[in-house]
Amino acid sequence: MSPKENHEVCHDDNTRTRMIILGPGAHISQNELVQKLHMMELPLTIKSTCYGAMVYGDQEFVNQAVKKARKLDPYNIFTKDRGFPPGDPRRCRGHRGAAREGFHQLEKEFRLLGHVAEALEKPRKVTIEEPEKVSVDDFREIVKKSLKSSKLSKIKDEG
Amino acid sequence: MVKIAQISCGTEYSGVQKEIEKAASTFGAEIVIPVTDIDYIDEAYEKFGFNCASSGIRLMVARAMSIVEGKSDADAVFIATCFRCAEGALVRNEIRRFIQQKTRLPVVTYSFTERTKADELFIRMEALSTIVARKNILAREKQEGLTLGVDSGSTTTKVVLMEKNKVIGTGWLPTTDVNQSALNGIDQAMEGTGYKMDDIDGMGVTGYGRLNIGKKMEAELIQEELSVNSKGAVYLAGHQQGEATVLDIGGMDNKVITVNDGIPDNFTMGGICAGASGRFLEITARRLGADITELGPMAIKGDYRKAVLNSYCIVFGIQDLVTSLAAGSTKEDVAAAACHSVAEQVYEQQLQEIDVREPLIQVGGTSLIEGLVKAVSETLGGINVVVPEYSQYIGAVGSALLVSGMGKRNDK
Amino acid sequence: MKVAIFPPNSLILADLIERAGHKALVLQNEIRKKIKDPEIDSPPFNLTEDDPIKGLKYAAIEVPSGVRGRMSIFGPIIEEAEAAIIMDEAPFGFGCIGCARTNELCVFYLRKRGIPTLEIKYPKTKDETIELVNKINTFLDQLEEKNG
Repeated sequence: MSPKENHEVCHDDNTRTRMIILGPGAHISQNELVQKLHMMELPLTIKSTCYGAMVYGDQEFVNQAVKKARKLDPYNIFTKDRGFPPGDPRRCRGHRGAAREGFHQLEKEFRLLGHVAEALEKPRKVTIEEPEKVSVDDFREIVKKSLKSSKLSKIKDEG
Repeated sequence: MVKIAQISCGTEYSGVQKEIEKAASTFGAEIVIPVTDIDYIDEAYEKFGFNCASSGIRLMVARAMSIVEGKSDADAVFIATCFRCAEGALVRNEIRRFIQQKTRLPVVTYSFTERTKADELFIRMEALSTIVARKNILAREKQEGLTLGVDSGSTTTKVVLMEKNKVIGTGWLPTTDVNQSALNGIDQAMEGTGYKMDDIDGMGVTGYGRLNIGKKMEAELIQEELSVNSKGAVYLAGHQQGEATVLDIGGMDNKVITVNDGIPDNFTMGGICAGASGRFLEITARRLGADITELGPMAIKGDYRKAVLNSYCIVFGIQDLVTSLAAGSTKEDVAAAACHSVAEQVYEQQLQEIDVREPLIQVGGTSLIEGLVKAVSETLGGINVVVPEYSQYIGAVGSALLVSGMGKRNDK
Repeated sequence: MKVAIFPPNSLILADLIERAGHKALVLQNEIRKKIKDPEIDSPPFNLTEDDPIKGLKYAAIEVPSGVRGRMSIFGPIIEEAEAAIIMDEAPFGFGCIGCARTNELCVFYLRKRGIPTLEIKYPKTKDETIELVNKINTFLDQLEEKNG
């Protein structure tokens, strides 16, 4: 399908599509989310989806909606940009049969969202430096020690 | 509408997705994407057992599994990956085999570049949709009644008349006017058989001029050469079941088709270098003062290693041959070297794009040059090369065979 | 700061970056620019023969067209990035990151930029996930400090 035929939803470059995703521990339902989005009275297209909602419209209003939506349940509402407007025939599941590829990624990440929410709720101090690898000398020492305390030391002595 | 399931990686990023869909719709087919969900991808991938680094290729595995397990509806399968991607080529081929072994769906594979255009895909999509539409006709393994097959090629027109599973007359001539050449070819084939056009039960046409001739002469079967040539080759070679490769080194271009149970699944064609064609051998024969029919037996007696040939090129290569002759090489060695040069060039230009399967059925006029057949086999590490009788007429034989399954003309 | 992420379409990475007040350079925005071009009609992404050719900036002609086509979309993100978060071993990245070779090249180019980069592994357990989120937030907070 030509994008020209789709011009009514693709009128300029300032439009954005955002997916608003409810994590598994969300305190509000999908219906409530969609309702609240409507109640913001922003000039947006709001679509209810299996993971939450999709908002589409001018970037400024999309950002406002996202900000407000996050406040509804700060730790359990996540958002992601989407390249295609809702229902674009070039990517729409109904039109092409299978889900668009990005959907599989979303499915995988969705499974972690409960833990992500927990981490956000109770932040901990961590160090981002990876621990260094054990040195060869230390490694050798540890091996020696464990060999001594096991039957293998016998084999080693015989060898 | 014929549903062609697309299993691919990289088409959208190479800018060729649209070309694929365009090619399919030209032949009344529609591209569909087999359904998978995330758990199924993992499950299918584990089950298939090929470790892939690229998730796009894992997705291909899952989509193939979805078709095999009947979770997606499709009439045919198109498998494509990027040209020069090793992982893609390996998986493309294993998926192809997997689908062929587990289903009866026709499969066509392709490796594309950003330059791939719809018209390069036409013959594949046409083959897929006609294979689906004509499944019953393509299942035919025996010729019945009295049928005529015409292969209207860009350089030559070939005609055969078949009766009771045997070729009873042949015609072969250069294509000048498509229709007139066909008529003259038919006259040649009928000659001495006692039959006239009114006696035949059906007529099948293939090749470049098929639409023109087919309409004019009201042929019962008008079909692209991919499926017809495959069928003709395996029929003549007595190898209608299992895998095979059909190689046609033509006067102007070369075709390689891979076949499974008589149905084509991949195809390459090339014609940019005369050094990789029958033309090279024709010029060699002329330089040796021999007829092209004498070149083959001559080459068999020679040793290609004894004639120096530094170039595959029709200009420089031939010059090298002349120099070799002057330096004392025998005509036999030179003939052998020329055959080897063509075989190696075909190997480098085309056979690398396709998974060559044994037996290799060599067809077309050049298959009559024994030296070339031997050189092809040697170049491919001693592969079994079969040259069936009437190998230069496969398209015409395939047409005559297939049309015999369509009922008798005079009964209608 | 503009933070490039890998996988470039990750929900979790993009979301955490936005929460921390930075801008996530996500792939979807590059795709959007492409698909909104009314002059091109090459579904689904409006990539044409020209895009793999643009990708020659990142990979040679001998490299498959799919790699070059993908690089033509991801390359500009790499160039724009002021920081990066690379999540290794992400399970199923489809679409633009469906090709392992492209991914290797992208990560290499990101490392070569010499910008602040956090490299982490896709978590397998709850503890790992919590650790990962905290690490990302720590990294993002540090970026803010660096940025003044």
